[in-house]
Amino acid sequence: MVKGFKNLLILGCGSCVTVCMTGGEKEVGILASTLRLANKKKGVSMEIIEDTIERQCDREFFDDVKDKIEQADAVLSMACGVGVQFCSEIFSGKIVLPALNTKFYGATEEQGVWTERCAGCGDCVLDKFGGVCPIARCSKSLLNGPCGGSQDGKCEVDPENIDCGWQIIYDRLKSLGLLSRLEENEPVKDWSSGRDGGPGKIVREDMLL
Amino acid sequence: MGEKKIVAFCCENSSYKAAEAVAVTESSVLDLVDIVRLPCSGKVEIGMVLKCLEKDHPGVLILSCPVDNCKYITGNVRAKKRVKMVKKALQNAGIDENRVHMDFISSVDTYKFITIVKEMNDRLLKDRPPAGHD
Repeated sequence: MVKGFKNLLILGCGSCVTVCMTGGEKEVGILASTLRLANKKKGVSMEIIEDTIERQCDREFFDDVKDKIEQADAVLSMACGVGVQFCSEIFSGKIVLPALNTKFYGATEEQGVWTERCAGCGDCVLDKFGGVCPIARCSKSLLNGPCGGSQDGKCEVDPENIDCGWQIIYDRLKSLGLLSRLEENEPVKDWSSGRDGGPGKIVREDMLL
Repeated sequence: MGEKKIVAFCCENSSYKAAEAVAVTESSVLDLVDIVRLPCSGKVEIGMVLKCLEKDHPGVLILSCPVDNCKYITGNVRAKKRVKMVKKALQNAGIDENRVHMDFISSVDTYKFITIVKEMNDRLLKDRPPAGHD
């Protein structure tokens, strides 16, 4: 991916990816050292610059590294997919490459373990299911689950690693004394607020300058 | 400037004390290494080790407390996991992963300390001129 570039800027992001220990200042250093060692071994000449900004999903933080980005042949962004795209958008004449493989947006279950919680699909149904999302946490995103693949609280998609989202919903509602809610059939979700409605956009008129 | 030496990250509760004892008995071994004193081997970080190699140190030793005998309970286990990640990074970079070695020694293991350093140095000598000599 970085082959052929003479000046490469590895740009970290100081927010979520730093907390997830994948794309912060430390990880920028690790990737830069690894690349330098690899280049040295192969006799490749490549200047590698390291920097990390507060966030790559907000325009103003790029001001600090504007010069470095302009001088580089390419930017290897260690932000999530959002940051990579935003960097590429702001510096339209620059090649911006993804260093990470962004899989989802989740929570830190314990140190070193992250799990998906929200699909960001709009028309939120969390209030109906005891605060457990059937879209993000059921492998089949069923609104009227569980399916026949739920066994001993595990999902048939990967019984070793995936808890049945609907078992979690059932247990949660039971503990809240709200099991009767599951007697109602949930109608078809309006997906126009999710992927079906195209790329999401939110405009807050009161916040605009 | 002389040839760079092996860097030895030493836990102050075990291998660093062993190194102090070696200084009394066989100090020439210490000419082969640059010792970095750590409060616990769990303080060693992936970037620190890679940086040493990037700066042309021939090898890096991480010398922690014996297994199940870490003062901070799991520091040596953490260090071991990080060394595994370092070796993975070196494999990706096409670098000999044996340039990084981890071992577990107690504060009285002076002989083991000497052996580890000498063996590491001998191994690295195959590719490079002797460390510690100008």
